Amino acid sequence: MPIDWLDAFLITGLFDVAMVIGLALLLHLQLGLARIANFGVVGFWGLGMYTFGVLYVQLDWPFGDPWQFLVCAIAAMIVAGLAGLLVGWLIADLDIDGVLVVTLGFASAVQILATTQDDWTGGARGMGGLRFPYDIGTVKENEFLWLVILSAVVAAILIYVWLVHRSPYGRLLISVGGNEPLARSLGKSTFRTKLWLFASTSAFMGLLGAMYGVMVRFLDVGQIGVGVTLAAIVGLVLGGTARVWGGVIGVILTVGLFDIVIQAYLPLPREWYTQAIPVLREAVFGATLIVILLFRPLGILGDMRRDRLMGKLHGK
Amino acid sequence: MASDVVATPIVDTAPSARPRIRVQGAVKSFSGRVVVDVDDLVLGERPIEGLIGPNGAGKTTLMRMIMHSTPLDRGTITLVPPEGSAVVLSDLPAHDLAQHGVVKSNQVIMDFPKLTIWDSTLLSVTEARFETPARVFSEKAVFQRHETEIRRYLDYFGFHDPDGFALSAGEKKLLDIVRCLLLKPTFLLLDEPTAGLPDEVTDKVMDVIKEISAAGTSVVIVEHDLNVIWNLCEIVHFMAEGKVVLRGDPQSIRENHTVVESYLGEGHV
Repeated sequence: MPIDWLDAFLITGLFDVAMVIGLALLLHLQLGLARIANFGVVGFWGLGMYTFGVLYVQLDWPFGDPWQFLVCAIAAMIVAGLAGLLVGWLIADLDIDGVLVVTLGFASAVQILATTQDDWTGGARGMGGLRFPYDIGTVKENEFLWLVILSAVVAAILIYVWLVHRSPYGRLLISVGGNEPLARSLGKSTFRTKLWLFASTSAFMGLLGAMYGVMVRFLDVGQIGVGVTLAAIVGLVLGGTARVWGGVIGVILTVGLFDIVIQAYLPLPREWYTQAIPVLREAVFGATLIVILLFRPLGILGDMRRDRLMGKLHGK
Repeated sequence: MASDVVATPIVDTAPSARPRIRVQGAVKSFSGRVVVDVDDLVLGERPIEGLIGPNGAGKTTLMRMIMHSTPLDRGTITLVPPEGSAVVLSDLPAHDLAQHGVVKSNQVIMDFPKLTIWDSTLLSVTEARFETPARVFSEKAVFQRHETEIRRYLDYFGFHDPDGFALSAGEKKLLDIVRCLLLKPTFLLLDEPTAGLPDEVTDKVMDVIKEISAAGTSVVIVEHDLNVIWNLCEIVHFMAEGKVVLRGDPQSIRENHTVVESYLGEGHV
């Protein structure tokens, strides 16, 4: 495959952008529609990544790839989904402060578990042994194909989110986010709705985590820090939490701009890359979040336009 | 002070073919102050009943207790359908009440700010099986199933722009009532339904209420516009200090000078 025009750094950067777009789209369903502020995105993502890694590396499988990958990835989705069910149950009746504490606490618990259960996870030493479920040639070609596969998964999530906006399920989520007691009085089980929403979106966050694990092939507890959640939230808020394309545009403008354009094409001192840039990245993302919330809380795309959408859908 | 008022009995020998709600020993306190303390109350023996009383009497709290949006300190609230076994509403989660046909409109304006009028009405009528994460292609089916009934209500009440959002307080109030009507309630509680509505719209609402009550729905109205109560209701319950202290036909309530002088003033007699 002629991919000489792509350097390895760009492939990794694009992979990160696509992955965070996926997370931002799933977060959009939670925050943009149902108004549940999940500050523990990295917890579900990291749980998926480590579940996949532990199962893939530590167990002896009677079959090889791609089945080994598929079974482990599905297991990672199930574990992350069950965690979503548990967290969803815990936060269903909490206000925003309670949701913040529980979701942040969950993310911290996952990171602590990954650090302390070092027999399984390698702890702070990290865990190697992951590989692509195929081999088509060089590392770069394998990574490029994995980027294409991840992009297809993220595109499928985007299409699903687009369809949700045009479905009774989307309307239900918006009603839960807009006025939960009123939705309940109309016979809607808001508790069950939140539970299923959290379980399903968390499962796919887990899948994205598993796919990331394959891409980096070495799991390290430093990867499941708050930076992942911050990137997804900042991107979504910048683009517009209420809009389908909000997460896509926002993440391209934040992660894309910072991780690809600034890091790859600005002549920054080499020694910055190990220590200064990750810290600088989180500082810039945090500052961006503050600026957006102060001056354009609805993001670049603004609020959802149900009047236009419904007009289109129902032929008016 | 009102406990000396003797309730006027209503003799009803005919078996009720309507759903009734029975409130027994229902008590609710806030910060130690008893707001509702109803010993035994049956609602729904007549097609349209009224619940009146001064501000702070506990009418809205009682309505909320029936809907289980305010939990009871003690007591039970039971739905007695015309057929089948009774359902203890106070044991059910709030969202289950609509499934049993018990629906309430809200005293304060309640709306979904991001849903259009059409959206909001579609939400009301959509069955749970269409609202699952897997049914993302079902919008067309839902719209086709319910378009006619929704359009009938929207045309009848003359919403300014049904494809847009409910903007005025009156439209939001009306939309709240339409959402309730679309649920096809068997027992409808209306908490100050006419507040904020123009007279002609109030008349339309009352005409619909008469229509659905004639078709078998039990209706209870909490209302400060007493003309609505006197004109529509066959039984009026009078609440004061958390208790139902008087029950009777509108005429007997109007002529009860103790109550009228204490709470309503001579102008209403």
